[in-house]
Amino acid sequence: MGFYPDLPIITQRLTLRPFTRGDVDAVLDYRGREDVALYLFDTALSREECALAVQQRILQTSWSAEGDKIVLAAVLSESDTLIGELSLIWRSEDARQGEIGWIFHPDHHGRGYATEAASALLDLGFQGADLHRIFARCDARNASSWRLMERLGMRREAHFREHALFKGGWDEEFVYAVLRREWRTGG
Amino acid sequence: MTGLQFPLATDRLELRHFERADVALVGRYHMLPAVQRYLVRPTRYQEDVAAAVEIMRGQVCLQRPGDTLTLAMQRKGDKAVLGHVSLHWSDATAGQGELLFAIDPAYAGGGFLTEALTAMLDLAFGHYGIHRVFVRCDGRNHHSAKLMQKLGMRLEAHYREHALFQGEWDEELHFAILDREWQATSKVHPLPLRDRVA
Ligand SMILES: CC(C)(COP(=O)(O)OP(=O)(O)OC[C@H]1O[C@@H](n2cnc3c(N)ncnc32)[C@H](O)[C@@H]1OP(=O)(O)O)[C@@H](O)C(=O)NCCC(=O)NCCS
Repeated sequence: MGFYPDLPIITQRLTLRPFTRGDVDAVLDYRGREDVALYLFDTALSREECALAVQQRILQTSWSAEGDKIVLAAVLSESDTLIGELSLIWRSEDARQGEIGWIFHPDHHGRGYATEAASALLDLGFQGADLHRIFARCDARNASSWRLMERLGMRREAHFREHALFKGGWDEEFVYAVLRREWRTGG
Repeated sequence: MTGLQFPLATDRLELRHFERADVALVGRYHMLPAVQRYLVRPTRYQEDVAAAVEIMRGQVCLQRPGDTLTLAMQRKGDKAVLGHVSLHWSDATAGQGELLFAIDPAYAGGGFLTEALTAMLDLAFGHYGIHRVFVRCDGRNHHSAKLMQKLGMRLEAHYREHALFQGEWDEELHFAILDREWQATSKVHPLPLRDRVA
């Protein structure tokens, strides 16, 4: 059936809005860094790769088929600074499943921005898109990411060991999830 | 990968390839709702059973990723077919395999699956050099979960309401074991040396 949310989403300190052509340098600022890419599938991106990524994201603002992504820029409302990005992927239409993900600029870690933004996106998923379950995945070594999942109230559902190769070594992965009835919209 | 001979013998079973004549025996359990979940394809009618046996008959070895080896669990003596066990080679570079199985409920609880799956794990690690073997099972099927634990498999995942199955919310467990962990626990059910596959 699809989902076409009203954007932007305004939270206490942030504006979650679609990407625009002018965002390339701000995205390069964090996606170009090795430390940010450490646990991402992508390696650190070049400027051209960032330009391409931004180009794709401009259109990723709604769902019309399974697998579609909504990708939003997280912007500090006060200074209009782009500090990161979040995604919500439509994984299953009949079972109403979604997957959430996040990447923030290290200069803006540790202030609760990711928690604030992700929480708004979970609201969107459960309330707006009527999802039944939203999950997130991360490398088991990516403590800031799984601690964020726990802060959001997600439950650890899986701990896979050596189930795949990742960047030249064995992968170890966590899956966290939250069900609609566990999530307090607006909370 | 030579030197593998079928049937594989365990204490009470022979694990052999399927034959066309197995349709009648397989029909005894293959259409039961409880058995449907992890079959290669759902079998609702007798024709589906014939098609499923045809597929299983072709699953005789693992040559490339994506291949499945399926063996009938045939009881020594009376030659009854109690069910089947499959090893699916899901990923070559990371050496991943999945075990699938089904048993006629009339024979469940007799330790036959433990025997057959032990032989399949020996085969996966000892013969095919697989790095990790996993099993998916219904979260409400406590027999399966206990069986996996008995085999020394670790619970890696417990998904709740992650999918719909036959119109209801599904609950799924994943168990896994690594090659080095199997070395350590293969005492669980030692096979006589001559029955080993290596
Ligand atoms: C994952 C990631 C987004 C987490 O960022 P984060 O800064 O830890 O998360 P938050 O913005 O929610 O900040 C939480 C921290 O701020 C603190 N904080 C300060 N003010 C806060 C507030 N108002 N609300 C909540 N937390 C607050 C929290 O106590 C917490 O501190 P701690 O890490 O010492 O426990 C970030 O590490 C990242 O972008 N990593 C690189 C990319 C990546 O790996 N992405 C995930 C791939 S799976």
